[in-house]
Amino acid sequence: MHRRQILKSLSMLGASSILLKPSLVHAFQTQKPASNIVNVKALFNQALAQKPSLIGFTNTEKNFDFKTLSIEGKLPNDLLGWFYRNGPAKHERQDIRYQHLFEGDGMIQEFAIFDGKVHHRGKFIDTPKFEKEQAAKRFLYSGPDTKLANSFPVSSADTINTANTNVIAVGGDLWALWEAGSPSQIDTENLAFKQHVSLGENSRYGKTLKGLPFSAHPKVESNGEIWNFGLDRTGSVIVYHLSATGRAKNVGIVNARYSGGILHDFLVTQKHVLLILPSLIRKSADTTDEHGYFNQITYSDAQAMRVIVVNKSDLTIKREYELASGFAFHFGNAWETTDGTIHFDASMYPNADIVQALGNVMRGHQSAAHPNAQTTLFTLYPSGKTAQTNLAINSEFPRICSHLVGKRNNMVYFLSSRDSAIWSDSVCAINTDTGKIDQYDFGESYLVEEHIPICPQFKEGTGYLIGTALHVPTGRTCLNVFSANNLAVGPIARAWLPYHLPLGFHGNFKAAT
Amino acid sequence: MYNFKKPLTIISLLSLSAINIATAAEIAFSIDGVKNNNGKLLVALFKGETGHQSGKPAQYNAVAAKQGKVVVSFKEIKQGEYAIQVFHDENDNGKLETNLVGMPTEGYGFSNNAQPNFGPAKYSDMKFAVSNDDAVIENSTTLIY
Repeated sequence: MHRRQILKSLSMLGASSILLKPSLVHAFQTQKPASNIVNVKALFNQALAQKPSLIGFTNTEKNFDFKTLSIEGKLPNDLLGWFYRNGPAKHERQDIRYQHLFEGDGMIQEFAIFDGKVHHRGKFIDTPKFEKEQAAKRFLYSGPDTKLANSFPVSSADTINTANTNVIAVGGDLWALWEAGSPSQIDTENLAFKQHVSLGENSRYGKTLKGLPFSAHPKVESNGEIWNFGLDRTGSVIVYHLSATGRAKNVGIVNARYSGGILHDFLVTQKHVLLILPSLIRKSADTTDEHGYFNQITYSDAQAMRVIVVNKSDLTIKREYELASGFAFHFGNAWETTDGTIHFDASMYPNADIVQALGNVMRGHQSAAHPNAQTTLFTLYPSGKTAQTNLAINSEFPRICSHLVGKRNNMVYFLSSRDSAIWSDSVCAINTDTGKIDQYDFGESYLVEEHIPICPQFKEGTGYLIGTALHVPTGRTCLNVFSANNLAVGPIARAWLPYHLPLGFHGNFKAAT
Repeated sequence: MYNFKKPLTIISLLSLSAINIATAAEIAFSIDGVKNNNGKLLVALFKGETGHQSGKPAQYNAVAAKQGKVVVSFKEIKQGEYAIQVFHDENDNGKLETNLVGMPTEGYGFSNNAQPNFGPAKYSDMKFAVSNDDAVIENSTTLIY
């Protein structure tokens, strides 16, 4: 052991070069508590009394016990497995209500579909943050927008990991995903939190991947292998290639020079990773701004949306494209032809107003006019030229058949809505080759959540589309099952809970084997 | 010729010794939450903010890690302001292991149990004083893994 090395390491603990903040986690730093924290809860409750459709954004007090749902119609015989969803559910403790929808602690919803029946249970993800706050019966840590006067100190991203955005099956477990920290490993037996996954364990990376940002939108290929990214606060992007069991195979850092503050989704083709960097600028590095992190995110018409194409084989940058300015939370799929032309689709917003709108809804401001995202098809040519077509269809939460991730697809399934709606009210399928649209409109009394295609025969256009919706007048959530080839006729089966669930974000289906 | 040098030196040494008896203190630093018995705890004592900023410890100590609580002593400490930093060198390579973006992946801690908050712990939170009257100063931390 070398004395010089020891002293250097000891001095590092006091150096500014360590204990840095990975991207979004930076936002949780707080010095200035907002003066109107208490009023957010009051404002929401006042609005809720006038607008029942805010029911999906109310606080959830406790876990949901096992419940067998009542069924309308008939569940398909070949639809067997577990549909898992995740989303923020703990929005309030005592007088504090979080000020942005992205801040709440995650809750797993499990729908077990077997023998023509559906059983549901929902459980808060008992992360270290959730456990501490549950015991204290109050929020202890500031959020990106919600600043507490006496926030506990934060030594790493996972200290404040809410695990609230997505859930995937990995090995025999579930991973509940956030985007600024580690996956949270969940036991499928009891939905209990096991640990934060240290992504490099049992690989050559060891602890060097511990605590790194890991986005909530991994792409799982047909062989089970997992690709993902994480945005570092420096503007670099960490790219992960994991085995089907979650072991790190290859990890690299791409110098993306991105300063937008939010990078939510990405895409893969069979040969490449696409980092699609929206036209966002984070106005201020001042994390003490009492207006919050998300209000610092602005959209710039003058800034191109960049696409960095990364070689899967060695995680080096192959080339970069510049597109017209744009912003998307979500992408459907990407694929490429033998000549290297890349195609992908996105739900493109004309600006980033939606980021603030998802904060406003926490105050009960549901009617703020903001433009919807619309399906847009992009082509990146080997020559460097690009093309894009806006299909002029409101769209969000695009999904494709899971066996086609990174491969040629024709069908994109997504939610749609009337103009200026904060949540969706219909499900759609579009054939991107023919332009044909199949749509089912739930009506204005439903708040429709992400629906995902399930293809038991691994044939696009067959199988089912399943997802949840909240029926506002009766205050109940239902699970809907559509035939993927005919959405317009409505769900072929619908399973009702006697109560509603908090509106969530993303989910996935784990087929019974 | 009378040699003044020798007795003077003796007197000087005696004086210095007396001063040391009056001012030299011991710091007993408790390190809680040690995760396992692997490797060592490497503990650095910094004198004043200048010493802390320079990264050059006044003393450092390496002791075997033991699950639970370990107490490390620094002796012959003169009056002044001090701060302590420690890390658990689990793999015993003398190096603080970090992840790809520089976050520690081995346990660490600071005097006064000062906590990092979106950055390194502040010197102002970890500093403590040793005065002429102190015999044994007790301080503690709980390691952060």
